[in-house]
Amino acid sequence: MNLLSVKGLSAGYGPVKVLDGIDLEVGEGEFVVMLGANGAGKTTTMRAVSGLIPRHGEVTFDGRDIHRDSPDSIVRAGVAQVPQGRGTFPELSVADNLMAGAHVRHGKAAEVRADIEKWFGVFPRLGERRDQRAGSLSGGEQQMLAIARALMSRPRLLLCDEPSLGLAPLITQELFAVLGRLNKDDGLSVLLVEQNANLAMHLASRVYLLETGRIVASGSAAEIGADDSIRKAYLGF
Amino acid sequence: MKSLITIRQGSAANWALRLAVTAIVVLVVLWVPRQGGGLITTTIEALTLMSAAMALNLVLGYAGQISIGHSAFLGVGAYTTGIMVSRWGLSPWVTFPVAFVIAFVVGVIVSFPASRIKGVYLALVTLALGLVFPYLLTWKKLAWLTGGGAGLPNADSEVATTGFDIGLAKKGKMQFFEVFGWDPFGDLRKPEAKAAFWYWIALVVAVVVYVVCRGIVKSRVGRSLVAIRDNETAAAVMGVDLVRTKALVFGVSAGLCALPGCVIAIKTGGVSPEGILSLTVRGAITFLIVMVIGGAGSLWGPVLGALLYTFVTDKTGEWADDAAIPGVLRPIFSWAQIPPADGMFAILLIVLMFVAPHGIAGTWRQYSHRVVRIVPRPAGAVGSAPTAAPSGPH
Amino acid sequence: MEDFLQRLVDGLSYGSVYALIALGLVIIYRGTGHLNFAQGEMALFSTYCVYQFGEWGIPVWIALVLGMGVGFAVGAVSEVALVRPISKKSPFAVFVVTLGLFTFLNWLDGAIWGGQQLPSSAMGSTQLRFPSLFPAEADALWNVFGVAIRQERVGILAMVLVISGLLYLLFNRTTFGLAMRAVASNTESAKLVGIRTNVVLMVSWGLAAAIGTVGGVVMAGLNSNVNLGLMFTVFIYGSAAATLGGFDSPGGAVVGGLIIGVVENMAAGYVQDWIGQEMKLAVAFLVILGVLLVRPSGLFGTAKVERV
Repeated sequence: MNLLSVKGLSAGYGPVKVLDGIDLEVGEGEFVVMLGANGAGKTTTMRAVSGLIPRHGEVTFDGRDIHRDSPDSIVRAGVAQVPQGRGTFPELSVADNLMAGAHVRHGKAAEVRADIEKWFGVFPRLGERRDQRAGSLSGGEQQMLAIARALMSRPRLLLCDEPSLGLAPLITQELFAVLGRLNKDDGLSVLLVEQNANLAMHLASRVYLLETGRIVASGSAAEIGADDSIRKAYLGF
Repeated sequence: MKSLITIRQGSAANWALRLAVTAIVVLVVLWVPRQGGGLITTTIEALTLMSAAMALNLVLGYAGQISIGHSAFLGVGAYTTGIMVSRWGLSPWVTFPVAFVIAFVVGVIVSFPASRIKGVYLALVTLALGLVFPYLLTWKKLAWLTGGGAGLPNADSEVATTGFDIGLAKKGKMQFFEVFGWDPFGDLRKPEAKAAFWYWIALVVAVVVYVVCRGIVKSRVGRSLVAIRDNETAAAVMGVDLVRTKALVFGVSAGLCALPGCVIAIKTGGVSPEGILSLTVRGAITFLIVMVIGGAGSLWGPVLGALLYTFVTDKTGEWADDAAIPGVLRPIFSWAQIPPADGMFAILLIVLMFVAPHGIAGTWRQYSHRVVRIVPRPAGAVGSAPTAAPSGPH
Repeated sequence: MEDFLQRLVDGLSYGSVYALIALGLVIIYRGTGHLNFAQGEMALFSTYCVYQFGEWGIPVWIALVLGMGVGFAVGAVSEVALVRPISKKSPFAVFVVTLGLFTFLNWLDGAIWGGQQLPSSAMGSTQLRFPSLFPAEADALWNVFGVAIRQERVGILAMVLVISGLLYLLFNRTTFGLAMRAVASNTESAKLVGIRTNVVLMVSWGLAAAIGTVGGVVMAGLNSNVNLGLMFTVFIYGSAAATLGGFDSPGGAVVGGLIIGVVENMAAGYVQDWIGQEMKLAVAFLVILGVLLVRPSGLFGTAKVERV
């Protein structure tokens, strides 16, 4: 059974319908990538799954229907998102950002503190700046913070919305390496959306292609990677 | 959307409609002064409130600058008249243009910080201004001018009133109002004549304010105002001189708001900080409520709002005495120790923001086409301004 | 010296009231980005309730706590029923709604309790004056540097400092406080970490109104009575304090309130000729104007104050 199962998902903003009935799945322990150009509906998909916007259709997580759940109960169920543009709490310190990420784990203060230290170990740059205001961090550092914060809730599924946006390729590689390790070693399921997923393709087991609100292609990473037209349009080579 | 009645602009039916509306308005205007004291007084109140609300509308409804301090401008008008007439013995007619100019200048001065301060912060600053103004009037340092807490006229005054000195036996005092040999009011010492006299002054002021507002709104300046309201940055990029336009609109709005102040001073015969509620911050809030209920950003919205507010407040004011409340409403209203009007209008204001944010006038504009639609002449015809969007080829 | 200390202490007492109102304004502004025009009137309504509780024989501190509960309810309900639905429309609509709330609450106070000062023997009040939270008799004095200071004044200042301290602990040492700061910082991300933002918003308004209640009760105590106009000028002073301190800084609100209280009192006392009691309010007006023109983020606020 799939961890995340989406069938016929439609969502939009007011009169504008962005998603027109999409189907996708993420299996337990899978690393799934969704490719799409600007305006295809990637962020809308992420926001719909996380419950931030009104949506129709079926969204099932761990066997439970979450398509009508509030955002906070979706997080409690085990879905966390690294939103587009980092979405850090700029006025809060780095440490406080991480603490906030653990909001749903109340009552486990010692564990939470241990987790924070763990993430400072994975991202030493964050550890150096633990008391700094998150808004004063560089783009790459903020992205690390956003990922760490999302993982503070110990989710089973991580949604990543264009983490490479605005970042230098080197930093992006570093981040994807971390995601890859979390996926392989810790069994974290990941759904990653990107415009250009060149750097993430080697991590993915399956790929979806989103175009103007519909899934137009899906398959294993190898299949999609072999398709010339897709390669040129989305992978840059 | 089918309307009940469709009229072609410029057709006979259109003219008949316009004539009918004008006739009704003229008849009402002429009928009121014959009805005696109570109705005239309330109508005068409505007219002065209407003028103030229309003035505020320029700044708030059209230019989108939040001001809760317009009571200060009204106060400037009232006190200009009060001081000039009672201290220096000048004629009240002269005080109207002077008050306009003084308030205009004050308004322009206010507009400069207003350019730098936006939104609710501007509301705060103007609220503070509106609150401070009455204190300014009681300030001892200015008492030589304003008469301090007691107001004018006082022991130092040359003239015993801030209005027209309608005297009894003394020479030189106004007894009749003559225009080119025509004496429309008769002996002004009689209360009905006096009341009618003040009524016409208030009415003329309201008409003048309306005409000026209309002139501004329909002009290029008016369009700049709406541009500023909707998006200042875009307006500036399109060439609107923000500072000058804001200065102009604040100035005119303040100047116009002073005129009803003069009317009040003339009618009351005395000015004092507590005596004239409209110059306290309560007045400023009332102007705003009236404007929003009537319809911000529309020319005749404040007119409707003022009429509604004044007459309802007057009528329900009687309900302080439980016996005056119509039986059905008694259980709802009799428990309150003060008249219900303010509470009712506050609730109306809140509800309106949810269901009809453009007030009465705005809602009418939205739905009137279901009843009457005036179809404009084909494009190119001179002077035809569409009053509703055409539904199809005409 | 005696005059100076008296004026200082008096200024701090009134400044404490301004600080409490400013705190409420700041909590709401940080949490929701709105300026609550009805802040003073919410406080006034609960203050009238405290008067009523006193009439029913309830001791003043318990009445205060009950009144704070009333205030909390008024604030929370306002947020849920009025502000949240209207905030989808426009900032102007929110402003008008809070202005309507301002007018409605003031009218309601008059409708329930009448337009005159209370307590009043003419209205059948059993209390002689509005109760003070601290000993306020003429002889309840302490000796500070050889000057007799009224215990009431010291008590008020101490209470404001305690409240500020508690708020500090709330914001910085509790999960809920962190959630409040997170919602204020980035509401959508707050949802993404599982914070129930609706609850946080509601509690923010409730808390602000409860703190305002304390301010109203202290003010009525200083004034010996509660009346319909009690909180008009206090609201302006509170806004001046919040502006001075920075609309998103609770610490700034307290500091701003105390500064304004002291400055206006000193100005009134030492520049009696020009300012005196009548023009004290002008001081607040000039402060608001000056700060907004020169340094809109206030003393301690962060630069992104213009949230429109």
